[in-house]
Formats: sequence, structure tokens, C-alpha cells
Amino acid sequence: MKKQITFIVGGLAAAWLAGTPALAAEKLTLYCSPQIEWCNLMVEAFEKETGIDVAMTRKSSGETFAQIKAEARNPKGDVWWGGTGDPHLQAAEEGLTEEYTSPVFDKLHPWAQNQAKSASMKTVGIYAGALGIGYNKELLAAKGLPAPESWADLAKPEYKGEVQIANPNSSGTSYTTLATLVQIMGEDEAFDLMKAMHKNVNQYTKSGSAPIKAAARGETTIGITFMHDMVTQVVNGFPIEIVAPTEGTGYEIGSMSIIKNARNMESAKKFYDFALNADIQTRAREAKAYQVPSNSGATPPDESPDLTKLKLIDYDFAKYGSSAERKRLLKRWDDEVGSLPR
Amino acid sequence: MNKFVALWLAVGLIGFFVLPWYTTDDAFVSFTWLRDGWPLDADYAPAIIQIFAHGKIWLAPLILFFAAVVPVLRGNPSDRLFAATLTFAGAGGLVFLLLQGFTIGIAGWEYASLEALFGPVERQFGMGAGAVLVAAAFLFLLTQGFAARGYVGGDLFVAGSIGLIIALITAFVFFPVSRILVSAFQDNQGVYAFSLFAEKISDSKIWGLRCLSENVSCGVAWNSLMLAVSVGIGSTLLGLAFALVTTRARLKMGKAFRVLTVLPIITPPFVIGLAMILLFGRAGVVTQFMASTFDIPPTRWIYGFTGIWLAQMLAFTPIAFLVLIGVVEGVSPSMEEAAQTLRADAWTTFSTVSFPLMRPGLANAFLLGFIESMADFGNPFVLGGNYGVLSTEIFFAIVGAQNDQGGAAVLAIVLLAFTLTAFYVQRRWVGKKSYVTVTGKGDAGLHAMLPKRLTWLIFAIVIPWTFMMLVIYCMVMFGGFVETWGRDHSFTMRHYADAFSVTTGEHGLIWSGAAWNSFWTTISISAIAAPLTAGLGLLTAYLLVRQRFAGREAFEFGTMLSFAIPGTVIGISYILAFNIPPLELTGTGIILIICFMFRNMPVGLRAGVAAMSQLDKNLDEASLTLGANSFTTVRNVILPLLRPAIAAALVFSFVRAITSVSAVIFLVSADYHMATAYIIGRVENGDYGLAIAYSSVLILVMLAAVSLVQLVISRRKLGRRTAVAGAEQAGAVAT
Amino acid sequence: MTIKSNAASVRFDAVTKAFGDVVAVDQISLLIEPGKLVTLLGPSGCGKTTTLRLIAGLEMATGGQIFIGDRDVTKLPATDRDVAMVFQSYALFPHMTVGENVAYGLKVSGVKKPDAQARSQDALNLVGLADLGDRMPSELSGGQQQRVAVARALVLEPQVLLFDEPLSNLDAKLRRRVREEIREIQQNLGLTVIYVTHDQEEALAVSDDIVVMNNAVIAQIGTPRELYEVPSDAFVADFIGEANILDCEIESVAGDMAQVRLGDIVMQLPALNLAPGPAQLAIRPRRVDLHAEAVAETLPGTLLKATYVGTHMEYRIETAHGEIFAISGDVDDLHHANSEIRVGFRDPGPVLIPAA
Repeated sequence: MKKQITFIVGGLAAAWLAGTPALAAEKLTLYCSPQIEWCNLMVEAFEKETGIDVAMTRKSSGETFAQIKAEARNPKGDVWWGGTGDPHLQAAEEGLTEEYTSPVFDKLHPWAQNQAKSASMKTVGIYAGALGIGYNKELLAAKGLPAPESWADLAKPEYKGEVQIANPNSSGTSYTTLATLVQIMGEDEAFDLMKAMHKNVNQYTKSGSAPIKAAARGETTIGITFMHDMVTQVVNGFPIEIVAPTEGTGYEIGSMSIIKNARNMESAKKFYDFALNADIQTRAREAKAYQVPSNSGATPPDESPDLTKLKLIDYDFAKYGSSAERKRLLKRWDDEVGSLPR
Repeated sequence: MNKFVALWLAVGLIGFFVLPWYTTDDAFVSFTWLRDGWPLDADYAPAIIQIFAHGKIWLAPLILFFAAVVPVLRGNPSDRLFAATLTFAGAGGLVFLLLQGFTIGIAGWEYASLEALFGPVERQFGMGAGAVLVAAAFLFLLTQGFAARGYVGGDLFVAGSIGLIIALITAFVFFPVSRILVSAFQDNQGVYAFSLFAEKISDSKIWGLRCLSENVSCGVAWNSLMLAVSVGIGSTLLGLAFALVTTRARLKMGKAFRVLTVLPIITPPFVIGLAMILLFGRAGVVTQFMASTFDIPPTRWIYGFTGIWLAQMLAFTPIAFLVLIGVVEGVSPSMEEAAQTLRADAWTTFSTVSFPLMRPGLANAFLLGFIESMADFGNPFVLGGNYGVLSTEIFFAIVGAQNDQGGAAVLAIVLLAFTLTAFYVQRRWVGKKSYVTVTGKGDAGLHAMLPKRLTWLIFAIVIPWTFMMLVIYCMVMFGGFVETWGRDHSFTMRHYADAFSVTTGEHGLIWSGAAWNSFWTTISISAIAAPLTAGLGLLTAYLLVRQRFAGREAFEFGTMLSFAIPGTVIGISYILAFNIPPLELTGTGIILIICFMFRNMPVGLRAGVAAMSQLDKNLDEASLTLGANSFTTVRNVILPLLRPAIAAALVFSFVRAITSVSAVIFLVSADYHMATAYIIGRVENGDYGLAIAYSSVLILVMLAAVSLVQLVISRRKLGRRTAVAGAEQAGAVAT
Repeated sequence: MTIKSNAASVRFDAVTKAFGDVVAVDQISLLIEPGKLVTLLGPSGCGKTTTLRLIAGLEMATGGQIFIGDRDVTKLPATDRDVAMVFQSYALFPHMTVGENVAYGLKVSGVKKPDAQARSQDALNLVGLADLGDRMPSELSGGQQQRVAVARALVLEPQVLLFDEPLSNLDAKLRRRVREEIREIQQNLGLTVIYVTHDQEEALAVSDDIVVMNNAVIAQIGTPRELYEVPSDAFVADFIGEANILDCEIESVAGDMAQVRLGDIVMQLPALNLAPGPAQLAIRPRRVDLHAEAVAETLPGTLLKATYVGTHMEYRIETAHGEIFAISGDVDDLHHANSEIRVGFRDPGPVLIPAA
């Protein structure tokens, strides 16, 4: 009977593709959230140094967090490397990640250490990126607009319909901006500013880095994102100018966590230590990654904004990373800003 | 000796005594399990060894269910005891298999109460080849039991097919979907909270209607609904226009049209959206041209409803076209000829006969367009602007800054309610009228020409649309060859080299391009999924159209369910359901194939239903009375007459497998990385060149596949005259 | 001729078929002898087609038992029953040639290709389509398609051959010819044939026995002559040919004979197991005599209408017992409309049927 044959063929095909986590000793499953080049660079370098076989999957930090949460009862990944710090903190808060202190820990910048300490060592900072304002200088010139210099400038009426920022409900970047404004000027004032800015915002994008890409291609004039995303556009040849707001700015800490009950715990720790090394962090530039590395011995890329020259605020990751505060601020944003008519 | 019982008993015993019981990594296919300690090793041992050597004593009772079958091996199917025994053994075996699978997991007992009762047990992993064979054996023994009781006319093939599909749909649609829908009623800590559900589902973000009076966005539910209805209607009409042009207008270039119309279907997501931004965006080519020539100020009109609508029309019209072309061709020419002889002019013939006969097809096309639009993620993501729709909201509820899985589930319920309502309305509209037009009587007529007025109208729509498509595709192809799309248009082959370079090393060719890995995975997974998907869809269509059995409605509902649920929800629900035993599939290629099968099967199903309801049932019955069993009938009579539907189903499942995104994002793993997931990574990173280059290659591959399928199996061979041969044969027919 | 017959009997034992609440066939019991051509006759919706499909195995009985030969086939699917069926729509496979259509049943039963070809050629010869094996069905006329369908069924040498209104798509002349051909083949080969039709003339012409069905039950089974001449009730009398149904009174019964009164007329008729009391008479129009002058044992009436139809005259007469329809072969000696007339009955003529 054909049916049986079909079944057998189907079974063989199924069997051919079947595969579950391996039993081989030296193996590592890496969830990687930054751009693929950087992930590949890390994997190649790590495989070369240790001989451990790395299976790497690149997904955005939100997707990875969702996946780790879904897989919690039977973890498939070992290390989660990169991506903005908030979901890492949240994973720590929900007990999805493992406590670990690397021997390299002492060599890290204080902001990276603080990140780890605020999550009882369940995550650690591997790079930092500051928020900024980017604009398309050609478009700005064509419209004869002044260059924005501060957060407050963004509410000026001449920028009507020219500003793009992500929706804080969907984007960690935008939430960081929201929290930054609150920390700089106080909550009510921050919301007043955002309400005033609302008329200037032509779109609240879903993804955090979308505004600067839109600005690069001339779809909007001004975009608010992390500065290293702006650097990428500049390097790609787009007419983007980067502005560090005069009031000061907030930042994200790209983080790394070991997944709880990882199947290859030894390999995971090896990778963890490896990723915090100065050498490998210095090589990030090769992958067009312009964030500031967390190892104090690593050299930041020349194109990176110099964090020491920015007016960085003392960002309270513990407070603004907690679910409760996040929910409250997002609700207020929805009620007071998101629902405004334009 | 009953050979069917014997066969499935043998299959089951092989599963129990020979094959590895638990999942075995890649070892199973590479056959390394044969030399790596099988049959005694704990990883590769069959059930029988697991029982005696590895303490899995709870597997032992399974053998009793097999033993129960032995006495009826020589039994007579019309014997009551025969039926009862098979039913008992099959059902009992299945239930027991599932019970042990769900109660004993990777940490021993899943429920503390059971541990208290029975004491601790060994842990076990997911079911492997052995367990799958045993499950199949029990399932088909059970369906034989039902058949022997006279269920579905005692037909083994039909009973087995129904059983198989029910089992598959339960396992791969209802089970995972129920896992995520349950979370709609839970808070983030997993505690049931119905008040929270009530609060979430009545949220003004979903249902708000302030847009009617003020300049703010409406609730996402209304946005989605409006979009889906417009896209459903639009794509159906446009698809009909294209179907009429290719079949009725007697164009020399009909074939070229056919290829062109399916082009969007084979385009990876995001690509059309990106091309539209580069054309019509504020800085787009067209916009800038209009600004400099006619002084029309550039605006962002493309972001929002209009943009999504255009992009979805581009993307989904081909689906309507594929459904409708079979229907348009299937309308019996003699009915049109009859109308003409009744003094109806071309327009009356079309509007009173041809068009109403196409009604089931139109309803199907609308339904597909509607559901596709509802579940589409890529286009609203790129072009949505501030126009939020359910699918994007669901995605960002899960992966966004809020990580609100419950909220996503609530939105998914709303979405599901819409799609199922559409499904119901469609059913009501088509009603119970008979649309049989391919009967067992030879039908030698010619399709009526289209009325003049309609022809002009259709050309007025089709030609500009085709032109726009050509421009967009030129844009896309062009984008792969320039340094930075939309900025630096100097020619380069860099992107293709990055993705698809091949170098020679000491051991022959080295596929050094970055895209090869995901490319081969995508092609092979899709190639495996396509025939399985089409087969499953058409088999289901056959059961639905041709068989009467208890629970048919529920059965149909189940098959539509996974299609109606957005990919994101399916993706997450698959991880929730298949990450732990008994079905441990995450990280494998199988989970991708299964996901494709059940997400895309409804397309084959709808195409099959539409085509099959035009086939006279007497044809199958004639075959049955001539001694063919229902399987032979399906193969020899129905399938050959369904060639267009099969072609559509095959092409569509292959292509959708390659181009699907939202579900795949969650299911790809290091070893099984799919092209779309890779492309999205590139797009996120602003590396459009490589994304476009990769997409162009995929388009070409799919185009080749589509042409091949079209060539091999497309038109029905019904002996209808062609326009040229018509006159000569007219005499011969008049005998 | 290499097409043989494996004729077997068909037996129904209190067979019932219900579709939900609708009972299509109600407790039917029936025996069809091997080698006979039996017609299932009745108005639309009487259950005749369902009965045929029950034999074919295309419907499954909800109660009772069906036997073909000695074999209980009640739960057997169509595939496993040794029957073949000719459909009203012919159901020729449009994607196969005529030859492939005819050989189909042999092919799926595993007959070797050369054998199958030879046998299907025999079958095509039998129906007079020897040269058309390579044509597509759409290239044939209706009558030819019909014959292909017959050949396709015959070639399997089934125990029972079923016809579902096979002639309804043909014109009148062709219909007469084809039905004669079917009858001839059936008799030459000694096939058991069960034939569904709603056309009583067709049924009378081809059948050994006719099963008249009405409202899901059998109204009467008999030879054409029995049905025509001794209908068992008003329905049969009226459905088979035409009949005048008149109310009468059975005055007494002696042995097999009854004394029946209709107005002034007193007749001795076979009692057919009826008891004294009210009853009805069924009288064929050709068994009615008209007299211009008064004759004994006749009914008075008024001639309403006289119609000349070539071969005979048709008359409608108003009497005290109702309207009577009469046919007379005498086209020369005419009665005129609106004249007073006497109506008499021939012997044999009136048949007793139970009161309605």
C-alpha cells in the first residue's frame, strides 16, 4: 500500500533531520543577539582558541528572551551573549540564568560590574552604548532647519513631522530613552517634553534602531537611537550626524548570561571568560561593532563615541530595569503620550 | 491472515523490539547508532532493552496491547470480536503511550502526587523512531477496528486517513495552540487570573474607536479587520482579473502573465516592502521625481494603511490567482455555451453563468486573502508606520520590551475570532448549491469569450499593475548589484560574492559564501515539506468533500486553525509544546517541516476543496464499483483531474516554506538556519545589499521550481477542444 | 465472445437506510434471481436509486442484511463487492481514452496489460465501438459514451450489473435502441441486471421483473404483465400505464371470486383476498367500451372530449362515479363530444384493489 510507503519515506526523511542536543563532550550552544558578523567573529575566535564546537543562533534580544523563557524547563542554549541589558536583567529576575563570577571580572569597567552586581551575578556587562540624536545633514540643510542640540530641542515646532523614535512598548532602546529623560529631568517634566514632542514624531517605530535607518535613507530627518547604530550608518556612507544631547544621556549595557541548567556548563563558563577578555573585545571593530567594550584593557574602536567625553547620567538599571517600574512608566506613556491626537 | 493487521502489528513490533525508543540525535540517520552500542546502550536501546536493562519498566504494558491483537490475526473483519479487539488494543495502546509520555519526563514524574504514589522513577527523554512506529501501529490498528465496525463504509484507507489526520492535527495544532491560549488566562507568574483576561481583552488599544472622531489610531482589532477585508476583496478581484486574462482573453502572452502573477508569491518577505519604500517613500525615486517635476511635496503616505494594503495586494493576489485559475478553467464551457444559445450576450453569460459558477472559488480566494492579511507580519512591520495591526502587536508583545506572553495570547484570540468568523461567513455564502461542472460526461465546449466591456476594464487594471510589479522587481534585482541601495549606486558584485562565493580547496569545492549553509537547509527543508504539505492538504480536502463521517465539521475547523493563527504565536507555541518530552523536537529540522506542513496545508486544502467540488462524485463511485479501492481511486481518478490544484498546492507549500518568517524566527536553530531568518538579521543590521542579493537568488530558485511544476503537472487533460481544433472536430462530435 | 457471466442472486433482508431523520429505504426485503433483469421503478425520491447504491456498496445500510449470491455483503465496501454500475451521467473518466476507461477495472484488479487490452477490446466490440478505443470520451456522442459506460461495466464480468437511469440523457429513438441492446446483451450473457428508471415504458419493455417502489417501500413486485394487469393498489395501477380508479362495493366473496357492484353493474371478479365492503376498481383505458345506445351492464355518462391521435382515439367521459378515460382503436366510427353515452367494461378488464 502506498500509504505505508509514504509513511516510511516520511519517517526516513524525519529521521534524517532528527537531532537533539548532543552527548559529545566539548560543545556549546550560543544564543547571540548582536549583528551576525560580530557573532561569527566570536564563534570563530572561540573555536580556534578552545577547539570547542559552537552551535550559534542569532536572534534579537527580545526573541532570545522569549525563547529562553519558553525553553526554561528543558534549556537548549548554554550562553546568551549580547543584546541590550534589560532582558538580561529580567531573565535574571525570573531565575532563567545562572550565577557566575568570572576570573576576569575585576578587569571590567565599573558600569559592567554594577550591572552584574545588580543582578546577583546572573549577568554581566560586555559593552556599552550611549543614546544620542542623529540627523540627516543633507535633509536638514535642504529644509533649512537648525541642528538639534538637546533633548529639549526636539519639542521645537520647526521639527514638526521630522522626528522618529521607537515605541517604548516594543523597543528596549526607546524605553531606555524614556527612562533617561525621566532620570534627567524628573518624571512629570519628562512626560511634558514627550507630549510636546509628540507632534514632531512622524512615527513610533517598532524596532529600536529603525529611526536612524530611516534617517539615513531620508525617510525622516531626525532619529533617536543608540549612537553605535548611528556610527554604522555613517560608516556605510550615509549623511548622518551624531549629536550628544547637552542635558546628558543614558546608555545601555550589552550583557551576557549563562542559561540556567545549561547542558554544557563547562563550555559555557569557558566562553563567558573568553568573551570578557580584552583581546577579543578589541576585535569587535572588525565586525563593524562600535560599542564601547567592558574590559578596561580593551581599546574601543576609533569611530566609537568616547563615553568619557559624553555627559553620561548615572543610570539606575536596578530601578528602571524592574518589571514594576517598567510597567508603570509604559502605562503612563500609553495614557499620556501614545493616545494623543496628532 | 488479515494482511493489514499483520502489517501494522509488524511495524509496531519493529518499533518496540528493534529501533531506538528515545530520540537519538543525528545518530539515527547516520546509522552510527548501529555501531555505537545498539541495542544495549541506554541512548539507543529499543523499548524491550530499556525495560530490562535501563529500568523503564513502565514501557512493559505496551507489549500486552500488541499481544491482544494476535488472536484476531486470522479473524474475519465482519466479526464483532475482531472490531472490538482492534479498537481496544489500538485505543488502549495509544492512551497508555501518551499517558506514560506526559507523566514521566526529563526529571522523572511530572506530578508530585504521582511520585508520592508510586515512588521515584527513572527520567526519560522524548520519543524516538521506535516510539513513533509503535504509536502509528496503534493508531492504524484502532482505525481498522473502526472500519471493521462499518465506520466510513468500512473503508480502511479512508478510516486510516481520518485517524492519521486527526492524530496529526491534535498533536501539532491543538496541543501547541492550547498551550499558548492557556497563557491568555495567566499572569506572568503562571497563575490563573480571569479578571486580568477580561481587562486585557477589553483594552481600548484593541477596540478603541476614537479614530472616527479624532486624529488618533483606532484599536488594532479594527485596523486589522479593515485591512484584511480590503485586502481580501482587492486580491480576489485582482486575482480574478488575472485569471480571466490568462485563460479567457486568448492572449499570446498568457504564459508570461502566469509567471509574472506568481512572482510576488516567491518573493521573500520584506523585499517588496523595502522596494516600495525606495520607490514611494519620502526619499523614494518616484516621490523625488514627482517633487522635482511637479512640485508635489514628499510625504510619508506610504507608511500606514495605504502602504500595507498595496504591499499585501502585491503579495497575496497571486494566492487568489492560483485558487481562481483552477476554478475559472473548471467552469464547464457547455454551460456557457448553453447560456449563449439561450440568447444571452457575452456580458449576461458572464454575469449570470460563469461568475456564479466561480462563487466557491471566489469565496475561497477571499478567505485566503483575508486570513493571509490578518496573519501577515512582514509588510505591516516594514510599512506600518503608526498603523498597528494585530500580528505586529502580537510579535512585539512577545519579543518587545514588555515580554507579555499573556497579552500576545489575548491578541491572538481576537485575531483567531476574526479569521474563524470569516471562515463561517464564507461557508454560509457558498451555501449548499451544486457547482459540479466537470462531470463524467465528455464536455467538448469552448470557453466563452469575455464581454468587451469587461475585457477593457480588466486590461485597465492588469496592465498598470503589471507595470508596477515590473518596476518593483527591477528595483529589487538592481539593489543586489549596487554598493548601498538608495545611496551609492556604483556597480558591485560584492554582495553576491559575500553570500555565494565558492572557492576550490584541497578537497574540492568549498562553499565559502555566508549564505550557503542556510540556503541548502532552506531548500532541502522546503523540498521535503512541500509534497508532505500538499499531500496532507489534498488528502484532507478529499475527506472533507467526498466522505461523510461523524465530526466532519470539527475536523475542518481543526485544519483551518493553524493557518488562522499568526506565525509568531505558532512559533512560540511550538517551543512551549515541543521543547520537552514526549515530543522533543526543538532544535531539529523536523519541527520546521511540521510547522510548514500545518501552517501551509490549508492552502492545498482550499485549492483541493474548490477543485474537487467541481468533480462529479459519480466518477469516484464508478471507480469504486469497478473494483478500485478508495486509495486507487484517489490516485487514478481524482488526482489526475486535480492537476492544477496539485500544482498550486505543491508550488505554494514549497514557496511558503522558503518565504515564511514569523513562525520560523523562533524555530530556527544553529544546525537548521533558514534563509529568511538570515535575511532579517541582515535587514535589521541595515545590510540591504546582501539581503537583496540573497532574496534575488531565492526568487530565481523558486521561479525555476514553479516553472518545473507548471511544466510537469499543470493542465487537466480533458479533451476539450482548443480554439483552432474546435471547428474541425465539431463534425466528429455530432454522431 | 469472451465476456462471460458470473450471474448471482441479490437478496435484501429487511434493509433500511436512513440519512439522519430521513428514511430513504424502509425495511425492504427482496430476492432477485440470477440471470434476471429486474427494474426498480418509481417516482423521484421513492428510494429506488438508494436501493441500487446499497447493492453497489456506495451507501451502507443502517439496518438489515444484503446478500450477493451466498455472501453477506452488508458491511463490505463497494470495492470488495463483485458488482459494476453504469451511471446516469456515465461517469467516464475524462482524462482517459475510451480504451483506458474500459480497461480501468481490469487494471486496478491486477489483470495483466495484454489481457486487459484484449478483454476491453472484446467489450468494445460487444457494444459496437470496436474502433473508438483511442478517442477521448469528450469526442464521442451521448449514445457512444453510454455504450462505453456499459462496456466498462461488462468487462469485469460482475456478479451483478447495475444501471442507474442509463438512458435519461439520450433522445427517444436512441433510447429505444440502446435499451434493446442492453436487454440483448443481458440475455445473451445471462447477466443479473438491476436497472433503475422512472420511465414505466422503459421498465415494461426491458424487465423480467419490476419492483415498484413508493415512499421508501416496495409497492409491488411482479412481471410486467402482472403489474399491468393485476396492480396491487391504486398507486401501482396508476403509475404503470394509466388506470381509471373507481370506488365500488364488494357484496360477497365466494372462494376466489367476489361479487362486485359498481352502480348498476354487478361483476364476478377474482377476490384477491379482499373482504366484503368498500373497495376500488382499476380499469385500463383500453379495457373500456363505449356504446352510443343503451346496453345492459353499463354506466350512463356524458362524453366530455374526444381526441384523435392517429393510431387511436382518446375519450374523456363524465359519469356518476367519476371521470373515466378511455382509448379506442376504432378511429372510423366516432363518438362526438357532449353526447350522452354508455360505458361498459371488457372481460378481463376491471381489477379489484383495496379501498384507498
